[in-house]
Amino acid sequence: MTHIDPLLHRVLDGESPSDDLTPSQREQFAALQRAVRLLAEAPAASVAARVMAEVRRPPRSLGQRVALWLTERHAVTISVRPVWSLALAAALAAIAVIPARGPGPVLGEQEGIAQFVGRFPGAKSVEVVGSFTDWRPGAVVLRDDDQDGIWRASVVLPVGEHEYMFVVDGERWVTDPLAGRYLDDGFGRQNALLFVRPLAR
Amino acid sequence: MSGAGVLSATDREPTDGEVVAQVLAGDAEAFGIVIRRYEAGLLRYATRMLGYPDAAADAVAEGLVRAYRHLATCRDPGRLKSWLYRIVGNRCRSHLARRSTSDLSLDDAPPIADPSDNEAATERAEQMAQVERALETLSAEKREAFLLKHVEGMSYEEMAAVTGERIPTLKMRVHRARAALLEALKEYE
Amino acid sequence: MIAWRVVTCLLAAAPRLSAQGSFARLAGRIPPPALTAIDSILVAAHREGLPTEPLIEKAFEGGAKGVAPDRIVLAVSMSASQLRSARALLREAGESQPTDPAEVTAVAAALGRGLSPELVGELTAVLPGEPTGPALHAVADLVGHRFAEDSSVDLIVAAAQAGLRGLRFLDVAAAAVQDLQRGRSHAAALAHVRSLLPNVPPPPKPAPAAVSRARRVQPGPERP
Repeated sequence: MTHIDPLLHRVLDGESPSDDLTPSQREQFAALQRAVRLLAEAPAASVAARVMAEVRRPPRSLGQRVALWLTERHAVTISVRPVWSLALAAALAAIAVIPARGPGPVLGEQEGIAQFVGRFPGAKSVEVVGSFTDWRPGAVVLRDDDQDGIWRASVVLPVGEHEYMFVVDGERWVTDPLAGRYLDDGFGRQNALLFVRPLAR
Repeated sequence: MSGAGVLSATDREPTDGEVVAQVLAGDAEAFGIVIRRYEAGLLRYATRMLGYPDAAADAVAEGLVRAYRHLATCRDPGRLKSWLYRIVGNRCRSHLARRSTSDLSLDDAPPIADPSDNEAATERAEQMAQVERALETLSAEKREAFLLKHVEGMSYEEMAAVTGERIPTLKMRVHRARAALLEALKEYE
Repeated sequence: MIAWRVVTCLLAAAPRLSAQGSFARLAGRIPPPALTAIDSILVAAHREGLPTEPLIEKAFEGGAKGVAPDRIVLAVSMSASQLRSARALLREAGESQPTDPAEVTAVAAALGRGLSPELVGELTAVLPGEPTGPALHAVADLVGHRFAEDSSVDLIVAAAQAGLRGLRFLDVAAAAVQDLQRGRSHAAALAHVRSLLPNVPPPPKPAPAAVSRARRVQPGPERP
């Protein structure tokens, strides 16, 4: 672990001048200053319009707030007397989260869902190629429906361990930076490693 | 975002206290001054905390909207900056806590280099990527302490107001963050 | 002349590979110069009782990634060595007949992430008759976040003794890593997760929208 002399800490805290730093301490000082200069670059984006749109929006009526609550997912914790619990469960079942689309595929006991997401602005196509496609391209294609450069796919896969990479524009193989778990592929790159769990638990 | 009604007779920039008073008096447009004043720093802070600009924009936008709606609870409008960083810091921590390490995240991924960039821009992007990767190796608390101290230029007193931590704790975090960052930068050279 | 030689080699190779139905799968997916050498590796592996499917998949992977034939052969050969080592370790650890190809494959993959072979014995001893792969991967997840290997093993052993099995070991590792990211030291994170056993939180389920739009893997088009 890198050691920083207490004098350098005092210099960095503005409590001492930098004149007495040794050459190696000056190197550490310079390295940190370079990092800070890079990190201090302000992002180009602005959220002003988005925030002011909310600020200018008239307050929602009670009915609108309830409608919004019903259409969003919520974690609800309720303590009830046991004798009321069945009635409450029935009532809550009637106030269901409205799904965005239809029911989707019927999954077997040894199947689960894998969600792939990658940021590739300007890409014409993005797909996933891996052990679950027999390393055959074209089987799992990601979509960027809102053209924001973020490509997604949700795939039914067998429960267990799978290896994969993204392929961008049909030719560029990219390791998924979000996978968190990797394995050398034996060809000088890294495959991402994914564990799929059964959906019903 | 003119906020023109807030300027005093001498046309100096209004203080944070004056802007807050104006907003609480019913001038919603005056909140635009708050955004203009603090947006860049908050976005920079959130981007470095979360690693992804889009997630950072969400955290800052959510934080500013929350600040507008709860402006009356800002006990000391003269310390508006610390209050805003506290709110956005809490949103960043919520975003980080929601991220799983072993499952795929639905958040956006880091950008890839554009092959049409010129050499200088590419080199700068690579240096930035190295520093960002090094920063990511720090714990959230150390990262926050380093960013508030060195990038946002806060005093330890201001940092205590933002984080709710004691000053000796913050000093220790900053010291450890410096050592950890230097160690990580060595690995990525 | 070269094309004729290739065809001859392929015809000579066909009876050996076709016994496992592999030749038809490999042809067209990997460069012809690699076919004979890979055939030899597959035949040897089959004779030894090693799983051959991971080796075929590695060959497919090399072909898909456009790797040179000799590198594909090398990678398949190394994969066979890793499977061989994994099975030997399982045997040393007391598995009298480690014939489960899935276990051999999982252990080989986990060891491929850099863990020491001694771990196989230790974890197999704690989990007799249970698949070792998920436990090994959980340790590899922890080691990947700079937890010490021995402390990582201790945590997974504790999880096993608390009754956790299979993919739940990955949840144990994930909980420790999340603690680390929230600012706890490595030691404090391990201690905290140990105190939670066996009630380590599972990962969140996919959102209903992700489930409803999930698609099954389609057979893709053949590429030249």
